[in-house]
Amino acid sequence: MTVVEPRRFPLAAESAVFAGRLMTRWRRNPLVPLQSLLFPTILLIIYYMLVSKSMTRLTGSDSLDTVVSMCALAGGMSGSLAAALSIPSERDNGLMSRFWMMPVHRASALTGTLLAEAARTVVATVVITAVGMMLGMRFHGGAAAALMFVAIPVLWVSVYATVVIVVALRFQSRAILTWFSTLSLGAVFGSSGVAPLELFPAWIRPVIQYQPMSATIEAMKNLARDGFAVRPLLLTFAWILVIGVVVGTIAMRTYRAAAQSGG
Amino acid sequence: MTALVALTERQVRASVRNLDIVFAVLVPVLTFVGFTIGLRNVIDTGGISYPQYVLPAVVVQAMLFGALNTTDLAAQEKASEFGVRLRTFPISVYSPMMARMLYCLIRGALALIAAFAVAYPFGFRMDGGPGFGAMFVVLSLTLTLALSFGAEATGTRAKRSDTSSQLLLIPQLLLVLLSTGMAPVESFPTWVQPFVEYQPISQITETLRGFASGHVEGTNLTITLVWCLGLLVGLGYLAIQGQGRQRGRRG
Repeated sequence: MTVVEPRRFPLAAESAVFAGRLMTRWRRNPLVPLQSLLFPTILLIIYYMLVSKSMTRLTGSDSLDTVVSMCALAGGMSGSLAAALSIPSERDNGLMSRFWMMPVHRASALTGTLLAEAARTVVATVVITAVGMMLGMRFHGGAAAALMFVAIPVLWVSVYATVVIVVALRFQSRAILTWFSTLSLGAVFGSSGVAPLELFPAWIRPVIQYQPMSATIEAMKNLARDGFAVRPLLLTFAWILVIGVVVGTIAMRTYRAAAQSGG
Repeated sequence: MTALVALTERQVRASVRNLDIVFAVLVPVLTFVGFTIGLRNVIDTGGISYPQYVLPAVVVQAMLFGALNTTDLAAQEKASEFGVRLRTFPISVYSPMMARMLYCLIRGALALIAAFAVAYPFGFRMDGGPGFGAMFVVLSLTLTLALSFGAEATGTRAKRSDTSSQLLLIPQLLLVLLSTGMAPVESFPTWVQPFVEYQPISQITETLRGFASGHVEGTNLTITLVWCLGLLVGLGYLAIQGQGRQRGRRG
């Protein structure tokens, strides 16, 4: 009796194949690139035109760097949500279970998704930042700060995509995803990025001050202006790490359950 | 008439199940609270408070958002077997569309009520009295109907409904945010001011704001009426034509 030993590939190579599959899908159904590229770029231009004069009057700076940060984050998140719309049907039509049965590392479908999300966000953030620079944004903190500026949305979206996958698998409904997108965009635009904290009503200030997006946008703004501001950066990474570890664990369990139960 | 009532009832019931009507009520509430909290102290609206200033934009935004969902609704209904089946019934070919439009008006009215309910505690007042208040409501609902006709016309023609409604989100955002509904024209960069001042959403929100305060400028009212009635007739024609085109496509 001959035993056919399946060829093993490194996890990274397998993830790349899964990521490539998603990218092909996104190319064919342009909803995802639309949401992650076109939507935030246009939002950036429109929102900048709306608030630039008022912000200059209020704070002395047109806060273009803040608007760029917000749009990069909002775009990455709405892209993840658009990508997740296909998850419930992939679970129901058995594709997910099929991947589960393949002789590949079992994490690779999940890591592949995250790889594709990260790659998409790199492209989107670079484009949005480039548009921001055309409008007049400048990095005064040097190349390392600029790299970090792009890295933060990428890290956030990778974590956020994990959350979205859990939500999509747990609740089996598109309406929940729409809600979730409202909540996320609300978090981005209900942050200290949109207006100085003193201008918000007192009762809502603590929520705005301590929600994760405020620290993130603060950190990104500082990276653009004068380099590394330790406190907001540390806070941002702490949020990313905590959410990443907690939700990452839940995601693996949820994914396993979904893949094993699929039809 | 009974077919119309039955089909409208079906739409309303379906919208409770798929949460469309819940969103219709929540969108004006959330956008109003969001804009007011975020921009109240950022944008200088001169003598008038920001809640009073921004409410018309919130109403128009809610109507546009509703119309986007109508695009999806019309596309799904057309493509579904049920839509084909309805065409074999001894009812007018137009009654499914009329039922959708009637549902859009109901949804628009609920959105309007929600907008008023949330804006009142923030200080919005209908200072013009009941007569102007009624005109505010009539104009908002006329706009809803015109936009819903547009959505119907798009939805019945679109090949890929999920992308088309998402694509329409971008011009919607552009029109609402770059309008005098959000900020006075002087707050925008000089080169974009002509667009901001004369685009339809600016004119319509200005009329609505005028109705709320009781002072409407003649030129502005004329422009708004031309836009609303023009859109109503033009998009209404396209929507009705789309229904005729549907006949005999399948089955």
